[in-house]
Amino acid sequence: MADPRKPRPAFAPWDRREIPGLFDVDESARRVGIYKWIEMRLFETLGGWVATVPELDVKLVLGRHCYHHAWHAELWDKRLPELREMNTTRLTVPANDAMNEFMESIREPEAPELTIEKLVGVYRVLIPRKIAAYTYHLNATSRITDAPTQRSLGFILQDEHDDWTEGEMLLQSLIETEDEVDRASRRQVALEKIVLRAGGITGPGTLGDAPDSSGAQVEGATV
Amino acid sequence: MSHAISLTPEAFTLVKFDAAELLAIAEDAATAVGVPDDVSIAIDVDEALPGPLIASAAEAVPGKLSFWFSGGSFEDPKRLAMLQPEMSRTELAAAFLRGRDRLDGGFEDAPPDGEISERQRAIWDVYAEGRLAQQGGFLINEPRRRYSYRLRCGFSDVADAEYDRVWKAPSLSWTELEEIEGRLAGADTRPEARKPLRHESLRPS
Amino acid sequence: MKKNLPPSELARDSRFVRSTIMDAIMDPRNQALAERDLGSAKLQPGRPAAADRARNLMHGIFTGEIQALEGAGRTTFDFDDDEAPFALKLDMARQCWDESRHVEISVKLGEWMGTEIGEYNEATFLYEAACATDPILRLCGVNRALEGLAIDVFNTMREFGDISGDPVLEFCEDWMLADEVTHVKMGSDWLRRLTENDPERRERALEFQRGVDKLFSLGGFRGETDENPIQLARKLRAMAGFSTDEIDEISEISVQAQEDARAMSAGASAPS
Ligand SMILES: [Fe+2]
Ligand SMILES: [Fe+2]
Repeated sequence: MADPRKPRPAFAPWDRREIPGLFDVDESARRVGIYKWIEMRLFETLGGWVATVPELDVKLVLGRHCYHHAWHAELWDKRLPELREMNTTRLTVPANDAMNEFMESIREPEAPELTIEKLVGVYRVLIPRKIAAYTYHLNATSRITDAPTQRSLGFILQDEHDDWTEGEMLLQSLIETEDEVDRASRRQVALEKIVLRAGGITGPGTLGDAPDSSGAQVEGATV
Repeated sequence: MSHAISLTPEAFTLVKFDAAELLAIAEDAATAVGVPDDVSIAIDVDEALPGPLIASAAEAVPGKLSFWFSGGSFEDPKRLAMLQPEMSRTELAAAFLRGRDRLDGGFEDAPPDGEISERQRAIWDVYAEGRLAQQGGFLINEPRRRYSYRLRCGFSDVADAEYDRVWKAPSLSWTELEEIEGRLAGADTRPEARKPLRHESLRPS
Repeated sequence: MKKNLPPSELARDSRFVRSTIMDAIMDPRNQALAERDLGSAKLQPGRPAAADRARNLMHGIFTGEIQALEGAGRTTFDFDDDEAPFALKLDMARQCWDESRHVEISVKLGEWMGTEIGEYNEATFLYEAACATDPILRLCGVNRALEGLAIDVFNTMREFGDISGDPVLEFCEDWMLADEVTHVKMGSDWLRRLTENDPERRERALEFQRGVDKLFSLGGFRGETDENPIQLARKLRAMAGFSTDEIDEISEISVQAQEDARAMSAGASAPS
């Protein structure tokens, strides 16, 4: 075995992480606060819907997913003080009015015959948007300084992907007629328009700024 | 009607069963399982006993079959005090088969229902319902029958193998049933106190 | 979606048929049965019709689990951030997942026992306890009364599985029992935390719980004598945060409920 007292570098040769990231502490905290707000509104919505869907399999999946998003909210709640935000409710807000409107629209359907509308909102609009925003955060933030956020993002994204798949499969099994295809599409279009107005789930720049036509690089962008 | 069937009570007061409807179902069931036309049938329903207290007893003397049923045997599990025709037809047919067994089907020397063990009764019920399943046209809940049997005879591979054999048996006699019971008793590893040897009855004596 | 969904709006598929607790209490057969000596009412494997009684009870647990899931879910939704603490909502979301698993377990157990989904009617009185507009009343009604009853039922059925040698029943009950003890403890902890400085609110919540406990004693369904099919699980309740005095009180409530039911059914069948 090698001499245990021989000095070794802090970073193994294969560890290529670098310091720069797109987000400073404030920006990371802003996004995490928004994530927590979205996860809260989502787990409440799924919990509320459980009693309103007659399909037994959907009911049970919503009950399970309700806890997934509550756990995500808890992870973000714990991360906020570590990002210098001791008053965790201050940043637990929607990105803007349009996002508030978006979440209100997501949770609007109540009647037992509206399961397709309920699931489309969550599994075809919101969760894909969350996966995109979380993946962007994961890729854009510093792998050294913001590693705790990344670790949570990893766990959460695993849930989001699994839940997305399950929700999509439920939808495909519920949509049996062309009319239902139209219903699902109409619902998706209506919600996409609102979230478009919001600029994405964390507001404009959710997935970073559009590439500058002048060719200038975004400062610190390494990914 | 081709069978002489009597029903007690003549009109139900505690449940919302239509006596005429139950009689018609009994006639249909008797015909379906081949109760001879010259055998009369007496049905006594204890309407005070609700579902899920499902219980019955069968007696036979030459030319006459007599049955006792708890009201729960015919009650719709979904609708309080209402008759469930399909379930009633199966309960009646299974009991009629046991009556026929007693009359001339190899169970002539079986002790009265009140004296046979829970295990013997469970095996006999499997034999009766199994025949209805083979015949077809009856509402059969096989897993329910299997669970009732396992509760009385044990949750074991030996018990399951006997069950599968009895469920499909084209014929069985009381002597063979006693032999099966002996094998099941030998394989029942439950402590003595846990075996359902006690025989209680819902039927007022 | 509106807040506070009434029990009549609980969504079900076509297999489910609803009944009311009053239908059961006013059933004229109750009086006729009370006049007979049918022996111990305890749910034990050696008793007559034990299999069908167990199947019926397990179906009741199955629908109860659906309603517990719905109740916990509604508690995450019905209260705004300033009405219920964030941590309480997280607990309720966790309970949602647990109850969802309990429904799954109950469906599998139903298959094992030969019971179909919706085979028996469904009474919604369990969800009704989850309709209080004060979150702490709701937690007392659901987590301490409803889930407390679940402890009693699961413990009785675990014993039933053990005595009959049914490996599946005993296994399932054991796991559900573990979750329910946590849920009851959750209710006990939140009651203490939220009413620490508000004795009046605490008393209101406990009074509500007493009412629900009485309802759940269902005319002698749960108690400590041979007349009660379901036995009060003292040890497990103590683990879940009930004091001996509180358990004694539930026992007394059960006796009272049994007497009330006798009087009601005697009144119902008396000639007018
Ligand atoms: Fe439960
Ligand atoms: Fe529970």
